[in-house]
Amino acid sequence: MNTISVKNLKRIYKTTTGVIRRKTKEVEAVKDISFEISKGELFGLLGPNGAGKTTTTKVLTTLLIPNAGEVKINGLDIVKDANEIRKQIGFIFGGERGLYWRLSGIDNLRYFASLYHIEPEVSKKRIPYLLDLVGLKGRGDERVEGYSRGMKQRLHVARTLLHDPDILFLDEPTIGLDPVGAREFREVIRDLQAEKKTILLTTHYMFEADSLSDRVAVIDDGIIVALDTPSALKKHVRDLSVVEIETFGIAEIVVNKIRALPFVDAVSTREQDQRQVLLVQTERGAEAVPDLMKSLEGQRVGRVTVREPTLEDAYVRLVGGKS
Amino acid sequence: MRIITNNLRLFWQGTLLSYIALFVWLRPTTYIASKVLMPLAQILFFSFLGSYASGGTNVDFYVIGNAIQIVAVSGIFGVTLSIGGDRWNGTLPYLFGTPANRMMLFFGRAFMHIFDGALGVVIALGWGALLFGLDFSQTDLFALGITILVTTISTCGLGLMMGCLSLITANVMFVNNTVYFLLLIFSGANIVLETFPNWMQIISQMLPLTRGIASARLLISGSSLAEVTPLVLGELGIGIIYGWLGFYLFKWVENQAKRKGTLDLV
Amino acid sequence: MSIKNLFRYWRTVITVAEITLRHQWNDSFILFAVLIQPMVIAILALFMLRGTGDNYAMFVIVGSGLTGLWSSLLFISGNSINGERWQGTLEALVAAPLPFDVIIFGKNLANVVQSLLSMTASYLLAALFFGYSLEMTLPLLFFSSVLLSIFAFISFGLIIAPLFIMYRGIQQWQNAMEFPVYILAGFLFPIALLPGWTTPISYILPPYWAARALHETSTGAGDLSTIIFAWGMMLLFSFIALFVASKLFKLMLYKARVDASLNTE
Repeated sequence: MNTISVKNLKRIYKTTTGVIRRKTKEVEAVKDISFEISKGELFGLLGPNGAGKTTTTKVLTTLLIPNAGEVKINGLDIVKDANEIRKQIGFIFGGERGLYWRLSGIDNLRYFASLYHIEPEVSKKRIPYLLDLVGLKGRGDERVEGYSRGMKQRLHVARTLLHDPDILFLDEPTIGLDPVGAREFREVIRDLQAEKKTILLTTHYMFEADSLSDRVAVIDDGIIVALDTPSALKKHVRDLSVVEIETFGIAEIVVNKIRALPFVDAVSTREQDQRQVLLVQTERGAEAVPDLMKSLEGQRVGRVTVREPTLEDAYVRLVGGKS
Repeated sequence: MRIITNNLRLFWQGTLLSYIALFVWLRPTTYIASKVLMPLAQILFFSFLGSYASGGTNVDFYVIGNAIQIVAVSGIFGVTLSIGGDRWNGTLPYLFGTPANRMMLFFGRAFMHIFDGALGVVIALGWGALLFGLDFSQTDLFALGITILVTTISTCGLGLMMGCLSLITANVMFVNNTVYFLLLIFSGANIVLETFPNWMQIISQMLPLTRGIASARLLISGSSLAEVTPLVLGELGIGIIYGWLGFYLFKWVENQAKRKGTLDLV
Repeated sequence: MSIKNLFRYWRTVITVAEITLRHQWNDSFILFAVLIQPMVIAILALFMLRGTGDNYAMFVIVGSGLTGLWSSLLFISGNSINGERWQGTLEALVAAPLPFDVIIFGKNLANVVQSLLSMTASYLLAALFFGYSLEMTLPLLFFSSVLLSIFAFISFGLIIAPLFIMYRGIQQWQNAMEFPVYILAGFLFPIALLPGWTTPISYILPPYWAARALHETSTGAGDLSTIIFAWGMMLLFSFIALFVASKLFKLMLYKARVDASLNTE
């Protein structure tokens, strides 16, 4: 039996705008999503902002009711058996919110321990253990408002491990962390993986999904566009190369011109300080460079490099070069 | 002449903008809740309490007192929020950076609340007539109108001063709520001032509302404008003093902020 | 909320109450709601009710203390849910595997117990500042009434929280809801002054019976049978409030999961 099974999940948001004339607009955040996660697997959900990752996670953590579809966790129904499911799952949403800043780390944990009906005798031992586990030993008595982002995030992990759930949902857990903090955090995730926890990780960092996940689902605009192991996903772009071109103040119209070239598969841009780096996917590799340069005539161009594709490039190709 | 038009425009814009900013997120129901029902509930409570206290003999005393007291809702909360709003929005540094006439800028923020507060009192007196049979047949309504307007102006004067305090204190709502409730004691809306110990009576005389409430009571029971003129003038004088203190505080805050470089702090 | 849950989760309730108290310890609004406003009302009433009987000071102390109890329940408990929403903690609370009203019960317990300070402060004010010699007529029965009243106020407050979460528009009526309960529950004057049609409304409010029991035991206005009658009615309507609240909470949680309104983001 699969630990998590999602069948044809659909979720619509209704938003109202206007003060006098109220208009209701419907947004399909999740259109039709199906996937299954087996026990002990780390399943990555990868996609750009607004693709439906968080909505999916919130449905799975019993915080939203789906408009259609069936979601089961350990064979329990997400709508009918919400309370039973809550005992078995833990979750973290990225960012600094979700903690009581005016309380100490220990008090935050004590509070949630009592909400999970953990006996005080048990939580007295478990809280120090968890603080140690997430690297907050000795800082538990301080107020959370003084914590760094990384520390808050690790306190979230301790919070969600209080009742020792077998299933974890981590929604963009490294968002806003500095590189060191993010790396430390990924170590924590690896530890959880080693403990055979079933984990659903959503992220928009490719290398994170690449290095941690057993399987990755790429989600875009409310549907899953690809679902496979990271290495299999990379095969989608195996026969391509990526030309990186540094430009300065390039106009969208020029980018579109390049995108329209017959030998170009996908184009994305990455902002870097004052520069924009064009990432052009093409089968022709280095041979494409002269033609590309011709299209860029009149533009200020910096360094040009040609490299092998990564998971990120596979992802760019799957979601149409939007990011 | 151009300076005057410019200043008038500034005054008017400050007025309008601050009022719109305050109420734009509100819906009609919110307005009704805060301007009609909340005052009604407060008048009812204190009038029943007063009726219980006096054995039902002197209900008018409490109804009138609490109806006039309602100006403090606009005068204290409204005006303070109009001034403090710049702090929340972070617009204060930009304001202090303009060459605009400070007096127009400052008093413009209270202007709309004067009418808002006066309207509140009229509604409150209407409740008094409807529910407690308040009788206006002996009343010089013109004089009562002047009393209401003057009392609103003087309370807004206090509000302006508190608004400036709100630029330098952390707990604006705490200070506002406390002053609002202290006014309930000292304004004489619910207590015959003569029963206070001397020091409390002195405080009463130094606050807005006290004379306005006394004047309204006299007028409704049939006194003429001439009889209440000293009270009305006294009320106006008190309001002007507070407004002026507020204005100098406003300039002082600006000065301090510029000198110490704490513009984003204030 | 069912009484069964109350026994099952009593430890959780206590911890939630303790943490709530600590979390809001230095919030100045609480200082106002629990101390300043009830004290001002006490001062006003002490001046106004002079000469309404020998025991009026005791009556004012209890009555103004009750206003503090209701106001802090209405404002602090009412706002705390929205506070959790803004902090992003509401989702974690809802996702905890226990009935949500257990958590709110604990929060209300904190606020009601904290508001008992109002009564103590009014007592000290009257005794020290106004120099009244204050005697409790039936101290033992009074303290029993206090305990029952805590329960009554918490239960009544449980109805407010889900309504505030479900219909955010209601919150704009918050200010307008403060004094009507002062009036209808007879905190500072007998409800006999009110028009007859309001009496049934008073009767279904647990705070009304709490005020009656507390006034009768502190001023000696009632005998044992009327006191016990007030206790019984207080418990009856508290249980009804608990029952209604549990239905409202179920509805609210379902609605929040449909409307996606558990978070501000």
